[in-house]
Amino acid sequence: MNQKILRAFPRASGKWGIRNHILILPLHSALSSAARQITESFTECVSVSHDWSGEADSDLDRIKSTLSGFASNPNLFATIYLTIGTSLEEEIIHHASNLGQNNFVEVSLARAGSFDQLLTEAFDACRAVLAKREQQVRVEAPFASILLGLECGGSDALSGITANPALGIASDRIVELGGSSVLGETTEILGAEHLLAARALDTKVGEKIISLVARYESSINYEGIDIRGAQPSRGNIEGGLSTLEEKSLGATKKAGKAPFTGTLEFGERLVKPGLYFMDTPGHDIEQLTGFAAGHLNIVVFTTGRGTPTGSPIMPTIKVSTNTQAFDSLRDLIDLDAGTIADGLRTLGDVGNDIFNEILDVVNGKLTKAEINGHGEFSLSRMYGTKISRLD
Amino acid sequence: MTSSANLFDHGIRGVGIRNHQLVLPSVICSSHIASRIAKEVDAISFLHQHGCGIIGEDVEVINRLFTSMALHPNISSVLVVGLGCETIQSRELVDRFQLEDESARFLVIQESGGVNSTVEIGVQAAIQLKTSTPIKSANSSNLTIGLDLARDYDSQNLRTHLERAGFRVVAAESGINSSDNLIELMHNRVHLAISFTGPSQPPTGFPLFPVINISSENPLHTAIQDEFDLNQSDLSDSSDFAQLQNLIDEVVAGKETISESKKIGEIRAPRMVRSV
Repeated sequence: MNQKILRAFPRASGKWGIRNHILILPLHSALSSAARQITESFTECVSVSHDWSGEADSDLDRIKSTLSGFASNPNLFATIYLTIGTSLEEEIIHHASNLGQNNFVEVSLARAGSFDQLLTEAFDACRAVLAKREQQVRVEAPFASILLGLECGGSDALSGITANPALGIASDRIVELGGSSVLGETTEILGAEHLLAARALDTKVGEKIISLVARYESSINYEGIDIRGAQPSRGNIEGGLSTLEEKSLGATKKAGKAPFTGTLEFGERLVKPGLYFMDTPGHDIEQLTGFAAGHLNIVVFTTGRGTPTGSPIMPTIKVSTNTQAFDSLRDLIDLDAGTIADGLRTLGDVGNDIFNEILDVVNGKLTKAEINGHGEFSLSRMYGTKISRLD
Repeated sequence: MTSSANLFDHGIRGVGIRNHQLVLPSVICSSHIASRIAKEVDAISFLHQHGCGIIGEDVEVINRLFTSMALHPNISSVLVVGLGCETIQSRELVDRFQLEDESARFLVIQESGGVNSTVEIGVQAAIQLKTSTPIKSANSSNLTIGLDLARDYDSQNLRTHLERAGFRVVAAESGINSSDNLIELMHNRVHLAISFTGPSQPPTGFPLFPVINISSENPLHTAIQDEFDLNQSDLSDSSDFAQLQNLIDEVVAGKETISESKKIGEIRAPRMVRSV
């Protein structure tokens, strides 16, 4: 079958961007409002806000690697860092450079001397970087350029019957053609991990999948909490799901039938193409952030209840599991898989729709979340905020 | 003690020095839409990463945080914006406020027809809330000042001065940093805070109340001196508390502190358990 030609932005690292974003990244929470102010003036740029103010607590390594991975995502033409002027921030910038982000500007509050001067310098940086960006155009790209993240949120009883298996079909095709696909949300494979492990390319990968799930469960059980009592969530139950295992059996369908090439830690980058499992929380936005830090460049997000969210740097395609959600939330959902349950279309038809939508979005079509200007971001913490005090 | 034309009678919430309408996102997924609504009606809102993917005691911690914010004396009315499928449910959150007046409402994105219609409905709801909670001036009140003691500062003299001036004073020093301390002070219903933030930290802020930032002599603070309202050396002898007292009077009367005018202050809620 003839495939569409893909056109994307080549990066020096060998990876491909399907967007050419300029990211304003504050490396201290106090600079988040400045970052928002910059993108209000320069709407061609994107920014994130976060609540980390340099605490060197138990989650420091996770936060540093999330920020440096995010800052070096291949969808970024350049990153403009806003800093206070600390060595921790320098480490993050240095690490992002090692990961391929060599097109950056750092604007430091300590050097600028005031917030107003910081804004002036950041505005100048935006103008300079925007002028350079105009010179870069899309060129023909291989299928290996597609690094797809698989996500579901607000799942319901139809998730495992309509949208998730349809996405699985699209994911299998991406992998078959040389691209990569990553399943996340460890919470949502609990109880189904043995089925994924059985699809591992070798026993080592299978054992790793089982051990990641066990590690996840014990990291919650140590708090004296049984995750199986907290999942499925209330929204899931209202949507018709009865147990965590039922939710997991449906959630894993997003990963189709391809064999698992490997596993990834939160925000880790894959090296060779294939299907992977990444250890992420089920929290939609933490997962999106982990995918972006892992250098994925596009996400398909299936939803039963509907959500407006999207990554600020990875286009996030929303697929509804039921037509009622699609019809009532048309300005935030891109595709409807509910037609499968209605008997109007087959899984193969909708799988094909999702596959084609992925290619169109790779080539520049905007998702609903992009049109609505959504760009949620959240740092993932393995420990509470009060575990340790080191600074 | 304090009398001023700029005190607001916020009913059960008490008397405030600001008349903020709060658009409160009950979950990160609704925070962007909440901000859009707030911008349209000149209300305050804030981004956060909470409301879902939380278990154990964190559910109560976050519920308590949002409830304290909604009932803070500087708040006139609150519109809760939820997504619909999250752990912290908007309807239940508003029930927790136990308000018998018309000063709190909620809406849910999944029941409101999408992004743009939720913004439209939210703007109308916020306007109606404002109409049903007209500005009422208060003549006087006992105001509470919070001290964020994130760095070492012997606050005894300052405390004594403020108490003599008629303020109730609460201090927070147990948090990892100012973010934690300001949350604690918010729970203590402070009308404004004086922050002695860490020596390597920039000025702090909080969406609900003004924060007066006092700089130290450390390099970062020296480098960005103009971003602080006062220098610690200004407080070195008791006569100089007059300068701080003047500033407090002005801030109570409506003058914005520096971080307030620059809208500095991200919420970092205390968390006990990892996210799930």
